[in-house]
Amino acid sequence: MWMVAGLLAAAGVCAAYEIPSLKAYKKDLWVFSLLLLLGTALSIVAALQGHIPNPLDWIAAIFKPAGYWMQNYFK
Amino acid sequence: MPKIEKISNRQLMVLVFLYTIGSTILIIPSGLAAIAKQDAWIGALVGVVMGGVTVGLYILLWRLFPGRTFVGICEAVLGKWIGALLSIMFMFYSFIGSVTVLFYAGNFFKINFLPHTPFPLINILFAAVVVIGVRMGLETISRTSELMLPWVLILLAVLVFTLAPEINTENMLPVFEFGWKSLFWAGFSFAGTAYMPIVFLFAVFPSVLNVEKAQIGMYFAAIMGGICVVLITLLCIMILGPNITSRSMFPSYALVKKISIGNFFQRVEVIMAGLWFVTTFLKTTFYFYGWVSSLSEILKLNNYRSLTLPCGIIMIVFSLVVYPDVVYMQYWDSTIFPPYILTMGIFIPLLLWIAGLTKKKLNLDSKKNE
Repeated sequence: MWMVAGLLAAAGVCAAYEIPSLKAYKKDLWVFSLLLLLGTALSIVAALQGHIPNPLDWIAAIFKPAGYWMQNYFK
Repeated sequence: MPKIEKISNRQLMVLVFLYTIGSTILIIPSGLAAIAKQDAWIGALVGVVMGGVTVGLYILLWRLFPGRTFVGICEAVLGKWIGALLSIMFMFYSFIGSVTVLFYAGNFFKINFLPHTPFPLINILFAAVVVIGVRMGLETISRTSELMLPWVLILLAVLVFTLAPEINTENMLPVFEFGWKSLFWAGFSFAGTAYMPIVFLFAVFPSVLNVEKAQIGMYFAAIMGGICVVLITLLCIMILGPNITSRSMFPSYALVKKISIGNFFQRVEVIMAGLWFVTTFLKTTFYFYGWVSSLSEILKLNNYRSLTLPCGIIMIVFSLVVYPDVVYMQYWDSTIFPPYILTMGIFIPLLLWIAGLTKKKLNLDSKKNE
């Protein structure tokens, strides 16, 4: 629980630090907020030992056949 | 309008030199020794040759599109939508790069220096330095790297000279036991780790002054960086032997532990680790810079700096998940990484170069016809 509180506080600090300088740029503000939301959500999931999809698995799904072929060919 | 940052050609040289050494020096001797055993150093030399070709390709692409980042090149060649798709792939690749190198750095520190510190905390500390660096901007990073260069060179020199008495040349024999195929494969994995990530420096190229000199300097620096890693690989093979090299996770660190002069000058590995700290920091920084700056360019934002904090959080979280265990890491790095880097580091730049060249020619022809 403390971890989640700490993470939320950290996100709050980030937002407080960044948002005043972004007031003039609406698009930047939107992208920043969305990314911060995503980052905070992911870090809370990680802190609660939840499952986060591994991006390396996605790449592996595409390049697995080529990888095995290359490895066998050059051995 | 934000101030456009400028770096000199010498700063680019230093960057490329340290970037090529990067995390390569820490991990690659083990991979090379696993493929080519005692011929690992020849494999590394083959890798330097391949790297020369790769860097040559990047320089050609740079010459064709001076003053454009990778995202800009994609858009200029392939138009808005397909270009954006390719840019997103590229951005994803730099994201993967920054996350995995951060994992490597954290893992190295966790195993060797801070075994009781929680893994996330180490990553947060390391990522904080990277995020601060990227927020400060390109000029600051390149000046820092200029300051770091003498230290890296001194540490490298100390490493080589203090280990010279331990060399046992018998470990190198027999030479050429495994033939060209495995040497080629070893060289490819070397070039893939050391040279193909230079494609991320396309985010830096538009800021370079004195482009002509910078291109020659960059080529030279990349080759020199590769030679340093070849030297370390050679030392690993000659001192540790091919079996220990291929089995240890950080062979060059195991190598430094061997330093002992008169039983007095020893246990200096923590000081020597400064070398890897600097080079890994620089590598993570430029992966991260490539990621954040291309994201902001794809979305046409005002300034990439506002993205650094949230992207830093995302980077830390994913650095904890990318490699669930060492077995997966070995599998991914040796099987999935080579075709992936071949696609992103060679095929796509080559495609862009050929397409860009044809497009320019067609434009010239149509102008002549009019």
